[in-house]
Amino acid sequence: MILKTFIKEIKELSRESRVRLSLLIVLLLLGVAVFISSRQYQQVNTQYETATQSERANWDNQGEKNPHSAAHYGTYAFKPKYPLSLLDQGVDKYTGTSVFLEAHARNEARFSAAADQTGLARFGDLTPDFILLFLIPLLIILLGYNSFTKEREMGTLTLLKSQGISGWRWMLGKWMALFVPIFLIAFLLFLIAGFVLSGLQDFGAFSWKALFAMFAVYIVFYAVFINIVLIISASVKKSGISLVSALGIWILACLVVPKMATNIAQAKYPYPTAQEFAANILADKEKGLDGHNPWSEESKKLEKEMLEKYEVDSISQLPFNFDGYRMQKGEEHEAMVYFKHYNYLKEQYAKQTEVYQSMAAISPFLPARFLSMSIAHTDYETHWNFNDAAEQYRINTQKFLNDHFAENSKFGDWSWQADADFWKKLPAFKYEPSNLKQTLSQNNGNIVLLGGWLVLSFGILLFVVKIK
Amino acid sequence: MITTQNLTKKYGDHLALNKLNLTVAEGNIYCLLGANGAGKTTTINLLLGFVQPTSGSASINGIDVTTNSREAKKYLAYIPENLMLYPNLSAMENLDYFSGIAGKSLSKTQLKAFLAEAGLQNNAFEKRIATFSKGMRQKVGISIALAKDAKVLLLDEPTPGLDPSASNEFGLLLQRLKEKGVATLMATHDIFRAREVATHIGIMKDGQLKQQFVASEISLGDLENAYLKTMDYKNALP
Repeated sequence: MILKTFIKEIKELSRESRVRLSLLIVLLLLGVAVFISSRQYQQVNTQYETATQSERANWDNQGEKNPHSAAHYGTYAFKPKYPLSLLDQGVDKYTGTSVFLEAHARNEARFSAAADQTGLARFGDLTPDFILLFLIPLLIILLGYNSFTKEREMGTLTLLKSQGISGWRWMLGKWMALFVPIFLIAFLLFLIAGFVLSGLQDFGAFSWKALFAMFAVYIVFYAVFINIVLIISASVKKSGISLVSALGIWILACLVVPKMATNIAQAKYPYPTAQEFAANILADKEKGLDGHNPWSEESKKLEKEMLEKYEVDSISQLPFNFDGYRMQKGEEHEAMVYFKHYNYLKEQYAKQTEVYQSMAAISPFLPARFLSMSIAHTDYETHWNFNDAAEQYRINTQKFLNDHFAENSKFGDWSWQADADFWKKLPAFKYEPSNLKQTLSQNNGNIVLLGGWLVLSFGILLFVVKIK
Repeated sequence: MITTQNLTKKYGDHLALNKLNLTVAEGNIYCLLGANGAGKTTTINLLLGFVQPTSGSASINGIDVTTNSREAKKYLAYIPENLMLYPNLSAMENLDYFSGIAGKSLSKTQLKAFLAEAGLQNNAFEKRIATFSKGMRQKVGISIALAKDAKVLLLDEPTPGLDPSASNEFGLLLQRLKEKGVATLMATHDIFRAREVATHIGIMKDGQLKQQFVASEISLGDLENAYLKTMDYKNALP
């Protein structure tokens, strides 16, 4: 009965022009979106490669220079575009792609794609994740809103019941008729994306396993949506009411709840404004050692400590250049200040994430969206981790430069210059995002929520289609 | 075999069926006559298990339909007045699906044979139901009933809208099923058709079975008079 119902439903769907047209439109849009995204992915990564090489060449070829001048000259850490961003661009567009690494200051990632666009960008982009997360659920509604109501409206339900139909088998046949086409569309998209990505320069980051995990997330999300659409269709009497109700749920789950979650999260756990954030950092910086100010109280205290430790009378007798040492200690104090304030931001972000997860109880869209972005490495978590890695690299770079200055020059000799070959000894910046196993374990909550939605919605569906 | 004992159905204060006692034995065709609202369709819906009786019992082949409706449905076939099928599927596909629901897996040859037995023209087998007349749809409905090989056939006003030849073919088909031992209960307004095909006839009014006849023992004229009198119709012909 399950197979017979499945075949019957597929035949009916395939013979309806609205269904054929909708499938064609979705497939066309997917094709265009994948093409545009893969072009963008290639362009961004080419730019990344060019910028990384060019910036490193600038650094390596500074010539003879004082290390602290080089520290102020600075360098850049660039964020690559990860392969699965081809499918889910997440928040990539709104986060910066490069961090300027310099002495004394932790800078924000800058040059986001959104900043380069005009106001028209507010209308959104045609990306695969837009189709996967918004249009395919709409397609499910279009295919399934009248799955049960049509039987009542056409009058076929009477004959079906007289034939002794089994409710759950009938439902499974209808469920499969919705699931299989959606599964095939998603499978085709992910397969094409997999082949496109495996053929592109991806810095070894592409993994079929991660692609499969992302595919599984979307399949579960669609199964939940199919359940919801069928629950509505089995519960109401008219197709029109079913369509309006399903669209209402789509608007609520995919549009309203995510925006509501953002508003609630921001209201409950606000970030400081950029001005407040900068002022707080400056205030804390001023409470500690300034590497450039040898007359400050903290500097004098450090000087005294060193003189006592090395049992000498003046800083010029120290076995290292105290200027370089003080500079490094100043960096360490500033790094701690930045760590404290950025940690506060991260704590706020973690609390906001908890709000999002609690809202996921009323929208399966949220856990699916977070899982997808996380696997694609286009979420805020990845952005934070990249910024942290860039900051750690900045701290290490400053230490590398200050130590060299302190160990190789004399106190007061600001004209001392490091060799031209010295810069090449600085290791290159490398950032490895979390692997799939780590990503999934960080998203246990979202996995449980999405799984919960699947089990609960399927249980309700079984309950509502039970026919005597 | 169909049996009802004191079968009663109330919708609020309205008594739709009042203590119906009825037996349709194997190989019998029982026609229920009566005006709209007499309780004919309620009787059929109760036998199908679509509604639960207020009191009394009903059984199909000895299986109580109120407690074991799904099991009872294995033995019955049903053709409603307005048989609705899937318009975008062909006659073959509709028959295949509805037979599949009843647990029958039929070959193409068998499907064609059942459609032909129901009187559908060969060139209509592969056509979509959307292009069919009511008579053609009824024939597909009959083929579904035939394919189920049911012991009991329930018909709710099956002939209105059929042309005379289709109606005649339908009568002949019921006779063939009768010979196979099928117990048929047919609700109808058509006194002429009832007299033609039935073995037994009952006249219902206000949810009650008022009169019963053996069809072979009553003429068409007497049946018509009995019907009109039961309905309290004052202008009956002498």
